[in-house]
Amino acid sequence: MDDFQRLQRQSFVLFSLSHFLSAGIGVAVWYFTKKEINSELGALGLALLVAVLTQLIITSILNSIIMKPLGTLWQVILYVSSNSKSLSAPELKRTQFGRELISSLANRIYQFAGTVSSSNSNEAEHRKSLLQSINIVKLFPHPLFVFNKEQIITSTSQIALDYVGIESNQLLGHKLFEVLDLNFTSSDTLENWVNDCQANKVTDYKYWYRVQLKPLGERPVKQCDISAYYNRDSPSGTEFIVTIIDRTNEYSQADDSLGFIALAVHELRTPLTMLYGYIEVFEEELSGKLDDELTGYLRKLRMSADQLSTFVTNVLNVTKIDNNQLSLRLFEIDYSNLIKQSTASLVLRAQMLGKRITFNIEDGLPTVAADPTSIGEVINNILDNAIKYSEESNEIVISAKLNPEGMVETTIQDFGVGIPANIIPNIFDRFYRNHRTRGQFSGTGLGLYLAKVIITAHGGNIWVKSKPGEGSIFSFTLQLYSNLADELKSSDNKEIIRQAHGWIKNHSMYRR
Amino acid sequence: MEQAQTGTKRVLCIEDERFINELYERALNKAGYDVKIVTDGKEGLQELYTDNYDIVLLDIMLPEMLGTEILKKVRHDKPNLRARIIVATNLEFSEEHRAAVESQADGYIIKAEMTPKQMVSFLQQLD
Repeated sequence: MDDFQRLQRQSFVLFSLSHFLSAGIGVAVWYFTKKEINSELGALGLALLVAVLTQLIITSILNSIIMKPLGTLWQVILYVSSNSKSLSAPELKRTQFGRELISSLANRIYQFAGTVSSSNSNEAEHRKSLLQSINIVKLFPHPLFVFNKEQIITSTSQIALDYVGIESNQLLGHKLFEVLDLNFTSSDTLENWVNDCQANKVTDYKYWYRVQLKPLGERPVKQCDISAYYNRDSPSGTEFIVTIIDRTNEYSQADDSLGFIALAVHELRTPLTMLYGYIEVFEEELSGKLDDELTGYLRKLRMSADQLSTFVTNVLNVTKIDNNQLSLRLFEIDYSNLIKQSTASLVLRAQMLGKRITFNIEDGLPTVAADPTSIGEVINNILDNAIKYSEESNEIVISAKLNPEGMVETTIQDFGVGIPANIIPNIFDRFYRNHRTRGQFSGTGLGLYLAKVIITAHGGNIWVKSKPGEGSIFSFTLQLYSNLADELKSSDNKEIIRQAHGWIKNHSMYRR
Repeated sequence: MEQAQTGTKRVLCIEDERFINELYERALNKAGYDVKIVTDGKEGLQELYTDNYDIVLLDIMLPEMLGTEILKKVRHDKPNLRARIIVATNLEFSEEHRAAVESQADGYIIKAEMTPKQMVSFLQQLD
């Protein structure tokens, strides 16, 4: 039996006893007064009156006993949430009724609030623990910042000052986010976490990898991990503790591999540029002059260039993800246009292979918030698979609609070989390929991994339904532009118009 | 093919790959642009100083002088340059580096991701 049930039973017993007591008093009154008062009815009335009065008095006493634990709990909450420490902690030992339950609840509250002990902590104790925590901040062997509930830095160490290249008077008394130039890999930033904590949490901690920190002045950019701890109304004044773990050496070593990939990609792209250029010249100059066979060859030439281009882009993107360098620029996008544009070359390829791609796009779709290049790559990677794995079937359907959750949902359905159930959980993993079909179909196992990363970074979901022999349905969701409009306007995205793979800067804004 | 609307626009192409130059020149000529080709960085910078062009296509990996250096130098020496400078490269930068290049240019394209014709229609949107 737990503490709560015990308390419930105790109060039931008390109330039952009180009923018996007042009933007994009523019976006694009736018994002794019926001879005095010659009316039987009069005696009964008097007895009832006395019983009801007794019951009222007892109930009022019982009420105060039973409500007392709640009052104590209320005091505990007031104590931990008040700023001034003038309030003293309620003494739990004085609680008689339901002490076990109240003690355990109160201790849990103290635990959440980070208070070490309930009743014996006083002003001096607080000061002592504050001093202790300041000493720890000073001696801690990594850069460390403490800030209060106004998000203003209250304490830091020399190591931290050296690390960010700043004087203490530029740091203390300022907001962390105004002083530190931190660059996170996603919208999952320290600042968002801090705000979320203050709105919804009592205690929490979090770790970020691969954060870029730009020190003041001409110092080189640092790469670090960050860990942070939150404790609402901590009595020692350490509302937030943020530690920086320098990883510049480790991460820049990894970045050199991006350097190598970047070089390889450059060398691959140069002949690709030429291939596309000459194919275009042929298509333009020879159109209508070639027989079907040669026209087909020319198309196959373009398809081969596309295939190489997709591979190069995938390799580059995976490398960027590994190095947390993949950044998306979200814009307001007419989705039906994006689908048509980004699938144009694959539609041609499907035709060459005797397959038909049908579009089933809902009319009047609201605009989505998307990085058009990346979403184009997602659609292409999924569609490429659909073409590859559709085998004998000739039909592929691309649909887009507004789903009940208010997101734009895209599905790409093929009626080909399908995916065995045991493979599905891993299908979005990197380099994952079905070992049974590995010999049958070519591929790198990068496409769906990239799709997942890109869609997730957009705030959407991606999933697959499939039955072997019946085909697969890949679906993903994108957020509406209207949901992100405010956020987009406050960022500097509007300064840059990005079109397919290039952008033009708003000129008047650039020239000073 | 759409013609340039006001007068003949002059394009300076600073690019060391001969085949790419051949293709770009052809596409630009067809669209009514005048094209001057320069294949090394130092010469490119000298040509840029004449400010005789409407649009400059600037590669990054150039002999003698990198495109990024040219960009930095010309922005410093000729703050009122008339020409719009479009970085046309196949080099993949880190985000940080890319932002630095972007802040000094008027546009940025990955050559392998557009055909010469698409590149020309991109330039036509500059106005």
